[in-house]
Amino acid sequence: MNFDKLFKVASSKGIEDLQIYFIDSNEFEIGVFKNELENYTIANTQKLSVKGIYKGKMGTVTTEVLTDDVIDFLVDSVIASAIAIESEDEVFIYEGDKEYKKIEGIYNESLNNVTAKQKIADTYKLEELIKSKDERIKMVQVFYGDGSNHVRIRNSKGLNLEKLVNDGMMGAQVVANDGNDQRSAFEYTRSNDYSDFDLESLATLAAEKAVALLGATPCESGEYEILLTKEASSSLLAPHVSMFSAESVQKNVSLLKGKVGEVVGSSKISIVDDPFMKKSVRSGSFDDEGVATTYKELVKDGVLTGFMHNLKTAKKDGIKSTGNGFIGGGISPTNLYIKPGIFKYDEAVKSMKKGIIITDLAGTHSGANPISGDFSLQASGFLVENGKIGRPVALITVAGNYLDLLKDVTQVCDDLKFNFGYIGSPSLLIKSLMVSGL
Amino acid sequence: MLEKTLIEKVLREALTTNADFAEVFIEDKFQTDATLLSSKIQGVNNSKEFGIGVRVGKGYQSVYGYTNSPLEKDLLKLAADLAQSFPGEPVGIEFSLEEMKVGNLHPVKILPSKVSIEDKDNLLRRADKAAREYSEEINQVQSRYQDYVQKVWIANSEGTYVQDTRVRTRLAIAAIAANDETKQTGFNGPGGHYGFEFYSDIINVEDSAKEASRIAVAMLHADECPSGKMPVVIDNEFGGVIFHEACGHSLEATSVAKGASVFTGKKGELIANPLVSAVDDGTIPNAWGSATYDDEGNLQKKRQLIKDGILTSYMIDKLNAIRMNDEPTHSGRRESYRYAPTSRMTNTYIDNGESTFDEIIESTKFGLYAKKMGGGSVNPITGDFNFSVSEGYMIRDGKIAEAVKGATLVGTGAETLLKVDMVGNNLATAQGMCGSLSGSIPTDVGQPTIRVSEITVGGRGGTI
Repeated sequence: MNFDKLFKVASSKGIEDLQIYFIDSNEFEIGVFKNELENYTIANTQKLSVKGIYKGKMGTVTTEVLTDDVIDFLVDSVIASAIAIESEDEVFIYEGDKEYKKIEGIYNESLNNVTAKQKIADTYKLEELIKSKDERIKMVQVFYGDGSNHVRIRNSKGLNLEKLVNDGMMGAQVVANDGNDQRSAFEYTRSNDYSDFDLESLATLAAEKAVALLGATPCESGEYEILLTKEASSSLLAPHVSMFSAESVQKNVSLLKGKVGEVVGSSKISIVDDPFMKKSVRSGSFDDEGVATTYKELVKDGVLTGFMHNLKTAKKDGIKSTGNGFIGGGISPTNLYIKPGIFKYDEAVKSMKKGIIITDLAGTHSGANPISGDFSLQASGFLVENGKIGRPVALITVAGNYLDLLKDVTQVCDDLKFNFGYIGSPSLLIKSLMVSGL
Repeated sequence: MLEKTLIEKVLREALTTNADFAEVFIEDKFQTDATLLSSKIQGVNNSKEFGIGVRVGKGYQSVYGYTNSPLEKDLLKLAADLAQSFPGEPVGIEFSLEEMKVGNLHPVKILPSKVSIEDKDNLLRRADKAAREYSEEINQVQSRYQDYVQKVWIANSEGTYVQDTRVRTRLAIAAIAANDETKQTGFNGPGGHYGFEFYSDIINVEDSAKEASRIAVAMLHADECPSGKMPVVIDNEFGGVIFHEACGHSLEATSVAKGASVFTGKKGELIANPLVSAVDDGTIPNAWGSATYDDEGNLQKKRQLIKDGILTSYMIDKLNAIRMNDEPTHSGRRESYRYAPTSRMTNTYIDNGESTFDEIIESTKFGLYAKKMGGGSVNPITGDFNFSVSEGYMIRDGKIAEAVKGATLVGTGAETLLKVDMVGNNLATAQGMCGSLSGSIPTDVGQPTIRVSEITVGGRGGTI
């Protein structure tokens, strides 16, 4: 599409300012099951999002048809959409920041340099390795995928930005069966540096995880001291991230509203949003609105310092956007995580008298309510008695309130890990949670 | 959208190596979304999606690629790249594309494109007003209107060539009730394979909005649910999500074919209480999960999954049928051209039994009445499931007692099916979006009111 023509037509039809966001993506994905390639996907797609101001309102439209003959449709849609909007919020197109940080390490050629053939061979090898670890492993599904995004933003105020990011992921779903019980585990590595995909350690972790829970049954109901592993903690943090969005605050659906400067968690808890993190596709020097991104500690030593903003919410509060305006999500974090501490995971286990290590939480999209902070979730893990790991437990539920949980954190471990959505956490030791089992 | 001769060319290009199957899926979709918050229209967005997916296979193995480009050179290159996965001589497949025309079996009256944005926005305003008028305790309402027209063309090297148009619309209302102590949300989201006539002929917009408020207000005054094992009465409509998640997914060929499902090899066996019969039916006129064809170009159909407790059919797509040595059930579905199709549900429900709602409640001495279910998830390997209850009440001495919030139901699908001990006669369905391997697709869930003799209930109200 001839973008110059789009800007011209928009202007001639009375659109005051216009911004385009154009993303060109490549994807490669493979899956292996029983030594056969069961999934192989290649793709190249492009998408154009257009926003424009017409009579003081912001209209939007998106398209995957990118020929010049949709230009009139795009402009007319922006106008129709703008006319329909009743919200009085002031809107504007951003002229840009003076400076955008130069970020290294968000695009790595190694993912392109390794051939598809090699990636497939490594995926087969990972399947073999996992199977060889333990005879109780009955089924392994292994996958690898990588992709790149080339993003361009242009607007009528002269802004012209571009970024290129990529990343890859390799992992496995493993099923173990000992004749009496069947359990599954999921383990993966995500990076844009192909040499980070260490097949041996990935296989060991995946296999250990799958067999560890064999024979798990519910435990007695009651209050237990809890060690939330890094994976469980990041999956619990994810649905609560919206609390830190200024949009949630302004809509009056954030529990953290009015609490800036107040203690919202244990002094050991700091929560960071870091757009400059290496090897992440979420990283970048600007957000989807063209605003320079910023590193910030939303919670510092237990005290809430502020919220994530986009242009709209920042304008409302009379401050500068934090660079968290993203297409599709309004306000989103970049790479958001609980800052790791110095405590060792093994030390945390040893310190427990009678408690439960929660290794997995299921149903966080429905069993956690970010508006009230209440959660009640299906969990599995291990009993701990006098610092020793005991039998596996499953089909229990843990219930609590996320803000209470943050306050009840007694130790933060040093083992930070990110989930798919680039939400991360180290393992956390929690004073207690209500467990429902037998 | 693409010339038939070009489609044939792409299919032939895909068969230049040792592959024995090729398929082209073309999608042209136009969607409108409008949102309302704080009684004001916040945004209206049109989006035009267009893309082409090419699948090439040999036996039950397949590779997939997709692109937005309708250009011949790009499509032929994609087909050639995919064909490289099956090195060898061509197997010599002959075919010609003959379009099958049965008309649209789910006709709509008013195409969304014929309706002004203003009229669509008015629905949101009406819903907002009704939700707020329900109670002074409602302090926020967020509603969303959505419609789309999805045109697809599906052609394959077996000669299949069909065109289908799916028109769907949905109005989703989330009402928040608040007091000094807490906030509770109520949700209602009716939808169907309809045009704009849905809002005049099928549902009452005001009643739908009030239902969301009713749930929010009821939960605002609810106690924390106690935890422990107890009988649970699960109501009709969205209560069917328990069957969808805990059993439906385990009956999909994606998990059965690999032996990953607890129901693998159980055809003809008793897997549920004989009171239970269950169906997946993609032909229900104008239902949310219905379509004329599945996404592999086969006519949709009705599948009897369980009959009187006995497993009678899985849901099977083309490739998994080869892997399982079974017949395909026309269950191939996908979110868009970005996904290869696989076996998925359409409109899935437990069929009517004979008990009345009152009989079920009256015969329960103590337990939980889950009037509205929230979402949930299931591990298809273990069958472990979890669901949140979005509106619940305790049952005491055969009567519905105090409201309870924060309940979660935890169990395994296979066990729960056997523990269903009463099935009502008030079958009703509700709409959901189901996420799985081939993306997020519209599905109906449903059931009559049922009772499960024992489920683990999680909650913060202490043990029973």
